[in-house]
Amino acid sequence: MKTRISRRRLLRTTALAAAGVLGATLARTVKAAVQKLAVSSAGPKGYEPTKHKWLMVIDVNRCIGCGLCVEACKKENHVPQGPNYFRTWIERYIIKKPKPGSTRGEVLVDSPNGGMNGFPPATVPKEEILHSLYVPKLCNLCSHSPCVQSCPVGATFDAPDGAVLIDPKYCIGCGFCIQTCPYGCRFLNPITRTAEKCSLCYHRITRGLKPACVEVCPGQARIFGDLKNPVPNDPIQKFFATNRVQSLKPYLGTGPRMRYAGLDEEVR
Amino acid sequence: MPPQIVRLVLLTIGIVGSYLVARFFLTPASFGQYGWYRANALVEIATPKAVYVGAKACDECHAEEIQKVAKAEHKNVACESCHGAGQAHSDNPDRNKISVPTDSLCVRCHETDPSRPEWLKQINSKDHYTDQKCTECHVPHQPNEVP
Repeated sequence: MKTRISRRRLLRTTALAAAGVLGATLARTVKAAVQKLAVSSAGPKGYEPTKHKWLMVIDVNRCIGCGLCVEACKKENHVPQGPNYFRTWIERYIIKKPKPGSTRGEVLVDSPNGGMNGFPPATVPKEEILHSLYVPKLCNLCSHSPCVQSCPVGATFDAPDGAVLIDPKYCIGCGFCIQTCPYGCRFLNPITRTAEKCSLCYHRITRGLKPACVEVCPGQARIFGDLKNPVPNDPIQKFFATNRVQSLKPYLGTGPRMRYAGLDEEVR
Repeated sequence: MPPQIVRLVLLTIGIVGSYLVARFFLTPASFGQYGWYRANALVEIATPKAVYVGAKACDECHAEEIQKVAKAEHKNVACESCHGAGQAHSDNPDRNKISVPTDSLCVRCHETDPSRPEWLKQINSKDHYTDQKCTECHVPHQPNEVP
């Protein structure tokens, strides 16, 4: 069984195939260019993600537990109301005085409505408290993020400028990332049905503004800066020069880039 | 070539070919620009307008007041910490007035609380001039001055 293909037919078929490949490539390039134009005309001008490296650090000694950051975050990012939806929140740690023979007493942790409306007076009388502190929590900006690794559709990713972001168009809302984040920084938005988390207020930092929580923090507990473009008297450089810092759950190997100063050992 | 091998080769080419065609059309255009994700997502996430406008926007009209605050105790407190998000006000200052906080906001930070750091000045609102308003004795913009 042999089929003979004439030279003319062979040439015609090859030419058609080549034209098809070229045409498809051309169509794709044009589509990409149009998409890029449509997208970038709405976004911030002249922002190049590879030329920045953003980082937020927290000085726990400066946090007064007012909760203005939580409120600002919800307003800025249109986070649904309700006690389970937070991109950032504040925890209150109360460490009681120890019983004779031990070094630390019982630890009480609470975060009523994420600390958004401030905190009610502590239930423990002052005389029984060894230490007490407020700890702001948010995305720890891991360099080996479990959330990025567990996303089955590649919707969450490490942006070149240091933010860990979610592509809401590709997120399918499976919730794997919510389970894998050891810091509990993610939640499923009940309206959009996609995972959501702190984006470092990406729409603000790309326009030269500070994240909303940093903007409103009255105590300068939250310090934000660009590691690639230090400014004169950079607060983030000063933070590292003047404080001894630590990260949360370093033993998990997630490589958190967030740093805290003034933490107690009970904070996880 | 034996026909069964030809069939196998054709089948393989068919499967790989349709995979390549599907991948070609289904992969987003900006995929792979920075990594294994859609680069356009970065711009899309950055598109919404800021609700908290930042001190620079306040400075356009209220520079004098801001300079006065910068010399006093509350110099590190941003305008929008107490006055709330300023987008509506900065877009249309005549129609949308910025909110003026009440006493409940003062004690939100300054109420005595053992969890608060000691550098912060704190009062016990139950026995600190209970029948007077905060602003009768303290100027919020210059806390050390008496009105």
